[in-house]
Amino acid sequence: MNKRKPSRMHSLVVRELREYRNSLVITPLAIAATLTLIMLASVILANRISVMGEVMMDSLAGSDSSREIKFSIQLDDNGDSSARYSVSEQQEPLAEEEWNFSRGWTFKPGAGTTRQGQVDDDAKESGTLNIMFNLMHSFMLVVLVAVTINYLLGSLFNDRKDRSILFWKSMPVSDWEQVAAKLLVALVAAPGIYIAASLITQLITALLSMLLMWRMDVNPIEALAGNIDIMPLLVTPIVGWVITAIWIAPLYAWLMLASAGARRSPFMLAVAPVVALVVLEQIFIGSHFVGSAVGQHLPHYKGSEDAVGFYISGNEWANVDALKMGLGLLFAAVAIRATVWLRRYRFEL
Amino acid sequence: MTQAIVRARKLTRSFGKLRAVDGIDLDIPGGAVVGLIGPNGAGKTTLLRALLGLSSYSGELEVLGTRPREQRADLMQGVSFIADTATLPGWMRVRELLDYTAGVHPRFDRRAAEASLAATEIRLDRRIRELSKGMTVQLHLALVMAIDARLLVLDEPTLGLDILFRKRFFDQLINDYFFGERSIIISTHQVEEVENILTHVLFMHRGRIVMNKSLSEIEQEYVELHAVGDTTARARAIPHVGSRNILGGQAIIYHGTDRHLLEPLGELRTPSVSNLFVATVAGENNHE
Repeated sequence: MNKRKPSRMHSLVVRELREYRNSLVITPLAIAATLTLIMLASVILANRISVMGEVMMDSLAGSDSSREIKFSIQLDDNGDSSARYSVSEQQEPLAEEEWNFSRGWTFKPGAGTTRQGQVDDDAKESGTLNIMFNLMHSFMLVVLVAVTINYLLGSLFNDRKDRSILFWKSMPVSDWEQVAAKLLVALVAAPGIYIAASLITQLITALLSMLLMWRMDVNPIEALAGNIDIMPLLVTPIVGWVITAIWIAPLYAWLMLASAGARRSPFMLAVAPVVALVVLEQIFIGSHFVGSAVGQHLPHYKGSEDAVGFYISGNEWANVDALKMGLGLLFAAVAIRATVWLRRYRFEL
Repeated sequence: MTQAIVRARKLTRSFGKLRAVDGIDLDIPGGAVVGLIGPNGAGKTTLLRALLGLSSYSGELEVLGTRPREQRADLMQGVSFIADTATLPGWMRVRELLDYTAGVHPRFDRRAAEASLAATEIRLDRRIRELSKGMTVQLHLALVMAIDARLLVLDEPTLGLDILFRKRFFDQLINDYFFGERSIIISTHQVEEVENILTHVLFMHRGRIVMNKSLSEIEQEYVELHAVGDTTARARAIPHVGSRNILGGQAIIYHGTDRHLLEPLGELRTPSVSNLFVATVAGENNHE
C-alpha cells in the first residue's frame, strides 16, 4: 500500500499535465525558447553593431584617441529608452562601475525603464543582469498565474460536462486524492515547470552574454561575475514562489470550489458572488473588508529590484502578515473541504 | 451461491417528491450474472448509481462489504463499471489511458489490456475522441476486462451500437471475463440479447423491484402456454400473469400453476425473460 502511493499521486499529476499539456508544459517551453532566440538574435545583432561601431569610431576619432568605445542601440521609438553599451578594449578586468549592459537586453523595452534608469545611476551594485532576469521571470509568472487560473476553473468542471467523470469515478481514487492532485499541480507542479523553464532561460542568456563578451574581446567570466548575483537568481524564484503559493492558495481553492460547483460557468460562479459581496458590504455596512481581503490574496505586482512580479510583500518572511496568511489558509482549507464534498455528492450537471 | 456481494435494505433515493428507488430490499449472490431490466424511468440507473457510490441514498446498503457512499475509492478496487457509452476522456490517447489505469488501479493487468486491444483496430497512439463509438466501447471493455474485479456493473453498455457489435460484446464478456466468483450486473433494454447469458433477473418498475429470481427458479415457477383455437378461452379463465396474441390464439404466462392442468390446453414452454418481463410489468394491460 505504502509502496504504491507515490506512484499513484505521480499518475494523477501526470494525468493533469497531459490534459493541460499545452498550457502547463508547452507554453513555458515555448516562452523559454522564444526568449532564448531573442537573446541569440540580439547577441548576433549587437555584435555586428559593435563591430560596425568600432570601425566607425576608429575612423572618426582616430585609432589611439580613446581605448574605450561607446555605442548605443535604440530599442524602441521612445528616445528615453535607448540603451547604452559601455565597452572597453582593455584587457584587464573592468571596474564594476563601468559596466552596465543590462538595459540592452531588455526584451520588454517599455516595462522597466524607470527602474532600470535608477539602476543605471546605481551601477555600483553588482547584479545588473539580475534585473533583466527578474523581468523575464516575472513575465513567466504572469503567464503561469493566467494559465493556472484557467486550469483550475476547468479542472473540476470539464469532466463533469463531458461526463468522463463517470470514468474517473470508476477508478479507486478518492475525491480527496483527485482534488489534492489538482491543487498540487496548481501550487507545485506547474510553477515548478515554469520556474525551471525560467531558470534555464536565464542560464542560457547568461551563457549567451558571455559569448557576446568573448566576441567583444572581454573576459566573459570576470565580466559576468561583476554583473550577476547567482544566489538571488536561484533562491528568489523558489522562495518567492513558496510565499506566493501560500498567499495565493485561498484564491486557487476558491477557483476549484467554483469549478466543482458550477453548472454552467465556473468563471461566473467564481466572480459574481465576490463582486456581489463587495458591493453589498459597501452599500449596507460601508466597509471594505471583503474587497481588501480578496485584494490581499489576488496576485498583484509589487516589484523591487530583487523581487518582481508576484512576490507579494517582497520575498521576505518578515513582511508577511501572519494573521492574514493564517486566515487565508483557513479559508483555503474550508474551500477545499467544500470542493471535495461537491465532487463527491453533487457532481452531476 | 456464496455470500451476497450486494445487500440492500429499504434502499431509497428521492428526487424531490419522486422516489426513483423506493425502499428496495435486495441480495445479489456472488458468481451471478444479473440482468437489471425495466422500462425507462424505472430507476435502474439510480439504483446502480447508489450501488457504485455515485449518489446519496437512505436505507442500508453494502456492496462487497463496504458502504459505497462513504467508501467509493475502496469499493472501486473490487468493482468495475461502465456507466454509459462514451465516458472515456476524449483528450486522452489510448496509451495514456492505460498508463493512468496502471498507475492508480492495483488490480489492472496492463498486458492483458494491450493483448485484447491488439486484436482490434484500436492503436495505442490514437486519441479517444477520434475513435468511433463502437471502438470506444470496445476500448472500455478491454480496460475493465483487464481489471481483476469481483463485480462488474454495466449500465446500458451497448446503447446505440449495431447488432453485430452488441453480440460480440456479450460473447466476449461471458467467454473471457465471467468465471469463478465474479459477478456481473447488466442493465439493458435489449433483453433478448442478454437473456441467454443471465443467471438472475431483476425486474424494476416505478422504483420497486417487481421480480428477483434466478433463471432456474423462473423455469420452475413460470410456464407459458400457447393456446390456439377453442382452448384459448379455457386457458384464459385460469389465473395468469399476462398474455399476448400469437398466430391463431394466445400465449399465456402462469405463475405456480399446476402443469398437468395446462398440458391438455396446448404447448407448454418456459417463458423468455423478455416475455416474462412484459407480462409482469404490463401484465395488467394485456390481461383482459
